[in-house]
Amino acid sequence: MKAIQHALLLALCICVSACSPVAPWQRGKLAKPQMALDPYPLQNTFTGHIYGSREAAAGGSAAGGGGCGCY
Amino acid sequence: MPLAGAVVAVIKRLLARAARPKPAASASLQALTAAALLLPGLMPAPVQAAASDEEVSFLYGYYEEGKRNLFGVNSRFDPITVDSLLGSSKIKLSDRLKFAFNYTQDTWSGATPIATAPLSFGGNKESGVLSGATPYLQNNNVLFDRQLNPVRRDALTGDYVKDTQLVHTLSSASPEIRRQGDFKLSYEWDEVTLDAGGGISIENDYESRFGNVGGRWDFNQKLTSLNLGLSYTNSDTQAILDHDATPYIFDVGRGFDTYNSSSDSGQIHKENRNNVLRGNRQDWGTALGLTQVLNETALLEAGIGYTRSTGYMANPYKVVETAFINPEQTGELLSGVSIGLLEKRPNERNQWTENLRYVQYINGLDAALHFDYRFFHDDWGINAHTFQADWVQPVGLGWTVTPKVRYYSQDAADFYTPYMVSNQALSRTAVDASGRPIYVEAGNPDNGNVYFRDNHFNLIDANGAVVNEIAVNPINKTIPFDRKQLPGHYSSDHRLSGFGALSGGLTIGKQFAKGVTFEASAEYYTHAGSMQLGGSGEDAYADYDFYTVNAVLKVDLSALSFAGGDHSGHAGHGGHSHHGGHAPAGVMFDHTMDKAGGLMFGARYMRSTQAGAILQGSNKVSDHTIVQQGCNGEPCFTAPGSMNMNMVMLDLMYAPTDWLTLMLMPQFMDMDMATRTLNGAPSATFAQQSLINHHTLHEHTTSGIGDTGVYAMVKLFDEAGHRVHGTLGISAPTGDVDVKFRDTHRLDAGYQHYGMQLGSGTWDFKPSVTYTGKLDKYGWGAQINGTVRMERNNETGFAFGDIFQSTAWGSYDLLNWLSTSVRGVYTVQGSIRDQYNGTFNKLGPMDYPGSYGGRYWDVGFGINAFVPGGSLQGNSLSFEWLQPVSDDVNGYQLPRDGALSATWSYAF
Repeated sequence: MKAIQHALLLALCICVSACSPVAPWQRGKLAKPQMALDPYPLQNTFTGHIYGSREAAAGGSAAGGGGCGCY
Repeated sequence: MPLAGAVVAVIKRLLARAARPKPAASASLQALTAAALLLPGLMPAPVQAAASDEEVSFLYGYYEEGKRNLFGVNSRFDPITVDSLLGSSKIKLSDRLKFAFNYTQDTWSGATPIATAPLSFGGNKESGVLSGATPYLQNNNVLFDRQLNPVRRDALTGDYVKDTQLVHTLSSASPEIRRQGDFKLSYEWDEVTLDAGGGISIENDYESRFGNVGGRWDFNQKLTSLNLGLSYTNSDTQAILDHDATPYIFDVGRGFDTYNSSSDSGQIHKENRNNVLRGNRQDWGTALGLTQVLNETALLEAGIGYTRSTGYMANPYKVVETAFINPEQTGELLSGVSIGLLEKRPNERNQWTENLRYVQYINGLDAALHFDYRFFHDDWGINAHTFQADWVQPVGLGWTVTPKVRYYSQDAADFYTPYMVSNQALSRTAVDASGRPIYVEAGNPDNGNVYFRDNHFNLIDANGAVVNEIAVNPINKTIPFDRKQLPGHYSSDHRLSGFGALSGGLTIGKQFAKGVTFEASAEYYTHAGSMQLGGSGEDAYADYDFYTVNAVLKVDLSALSFAGGDHSGHAGHGGHSHHGGHAPAGVMFDHTMDKAGGLMFGARYMRSTQAGAILQGSNKVSDHTIVQQGCNGEPCFTAPGSMNMNMVMLDLMYAPTDWLTLMLMPQFMDMDMATRTLNGAPSATFAQQSLINHHTLHEHTTSGIGDTGVYAMVKLFDEAGHRVHGTLGISAPTGDVDVKFRDTHRLDAGYQHYGMQLGSGTWDFKPSVTYTGKLDKYGWGAQINGTVRMERNNETGFAFGDIFQSTAWGSYDLLNWLSTSVRGVYTVQGSIRDQYNGTFNKLGPMDYPGSYGGRYWDVGFGINAFVPGGSLQGNSLSFEWLQPVSDDVNGYQLPRDGALSATWSYAF
């Protein structure tokens, strides 16, 4: 697990340091709806709740609620 | 402000670039406009693609599990299904202040595993009372070999053979509803956004309250964003462990605390006539995220999170099947007794997550590839990995196709065990220091008095004096098993087992003009122990699958503002025919669309309540009368105490020509009812009493999709302030009419009351004629409408009565955006035709078809608001309270308390 964590951290560092400056007028593609970090927020709330009631790894996000999921 | 100056400069530059002649100029202009919108101060999240500032969206979702493998036992339960409804709205309170509100409602019913045991334990028993298996995990006699392998007797040869096959025990529930409301308020500065939110989630047996604060800082020319969030959740469990749990939770009647301690003792109390398990849990969570634009076509998000949970974290309905084997036995075959113990989890859990999300634009295909990885670790011994990839592919004309694949794998929790074997007897006879068996009083075993037998088998007290055996009624004192010999924590919840899950799905989206988006999505999910990373997960008996489907409708309220002011049609509210003045919120089909191509989107909410003394006709009657006459000569035990109905309808209107408006109206409903025992009710059999308790001790609820209406509205007359239009409609039977109670005491509790079903079950014809008029500030109108059942009866054997309604109203404009209304309503509804054709337990008047329908007068008071300009132009909001004036019911029914209607609509 530690190896994966380190790899992630390394990847992150490389990405951040390697990123090229993107001027505002070069951000057209980034602005497209398909490039949104979460293109389907409502659907993902729904499926996220279902995963959360069927898998152990639901916690750990900063959001609250969700109910018992006891079914 | 230098930043604002810079923004203006950049916009000018962009516009100058856009103005240059170019091939496909309009497409480039759009892209550039989109880019311009991303500039500081114009869009909130520069490193993310545009999410609308002002938006209303709805989701309906459905979840259904596949049947579990019960190894030859025929389960009488349907697998669990969940209906979900989500509504979400975002509005701008000012340029920088935003408010978001979400409402979620989940309803589930059906069967889930409540325990696991060797197949030989017979946890899913087929008994004589019910056809099909029901849970049975109490005091089962079980056999093991010396190596503690489960053993069963072969039915053919009579030999004892080792059989390690495990199987889940299933149990089902009546429909249960969870409701959640939450909000978020955020304030944006140029580079920093702060938000605060909170909410509450309510179930019958679980309530959560939560709050969160967060912030985002955009820097590095808005190429980098840093997010920080903190959340707190406080949740209470309040689970009724009733007679329905007796077949599988050990000793529900007494001694719960002795045997079933979940995370601390003293959690289970007798309240009213129920055993109630109470627990509290608190979660503190924090998350830190970094979003980085890597280049013109890629961005990356990385985050870490930590959550600390303390308190009661177990599932109050899941048990761990435990076999007790007396070690003093000799021979190769060991016999024991198995019982179900409530699971016991640690009361502390620390959870860490790390996640990475990468989004890459695919040049040439105009697509985006999303890749997510999430790692989860906790101190219960669970490590989990989630990989997900989505390919978002626009395919022209506003259509988008998104295939998705997801893989999840988790280790088992340290304390996960499918079942337990304890090397001690379940209970043993207590003896004193000299080895004499101890006796106690059967009627009061815990009063401290102990007795013995002397040499002549006389019953003697502690001082050796012979006592009256008949008065004492002695029984052997037994000592239950020693809980300290069980592990500290145990759970056989399959969610804590080791497994892998693979799922795949497809989302299809269509963006219509004017900011309306429709999405439909389906996903299939398969869970298997063998798919765990490393393949050492739970055995195949625990494998299952499910599918989900969902549909989303999204309206971008700010689309019009961005569209460049081309909404002259809306000036003066001209988009749809409200020229007759605003009809009250409770009136449906009150207007048509004016112009061909017109589009309207709306939502209606209606809540009606009934409570009070039962009426016969218009008069209150005593319990005595109901017992005597309320049930058609059959025994009458209960009557409804209250009933509430909530209905959410979506209103989608489209005018293909200027004289015709088409309308689609899906609806979602939920109902709850409380019943009470009638004074002077006749004596009941054991089975009847079980059912009566089942009804009166719990409020019952139903919820799900209701019937779906399709309507055509035709303009008949339109001149000088007077309008008449006719509506022809069909209501399709999409609502369930076969909702049942869960079993009780191994009895089939049958269908819920007629009025608790979600639809009519029949195809219904719904015509209406509406007249509206308007003069200066005064408006008026009238409508007659009907509902005619077009079938003799529905799939479960009955049909609701036809409905006829007439209404008339007047309204007055107080301001140019606000009006009030008064109206009168007269309604007639017939009684139910025929009756249920399946198992149905008639306990009170509400179970008889003659106690439905009636004649009703109501008066309505309404208020309507309309946004005449600004970014929310075209929105209207109306409320109406309908006050019953007179009830004349068929048979014996609850009086009505009133109904609230709220409608919101948005015309384009």
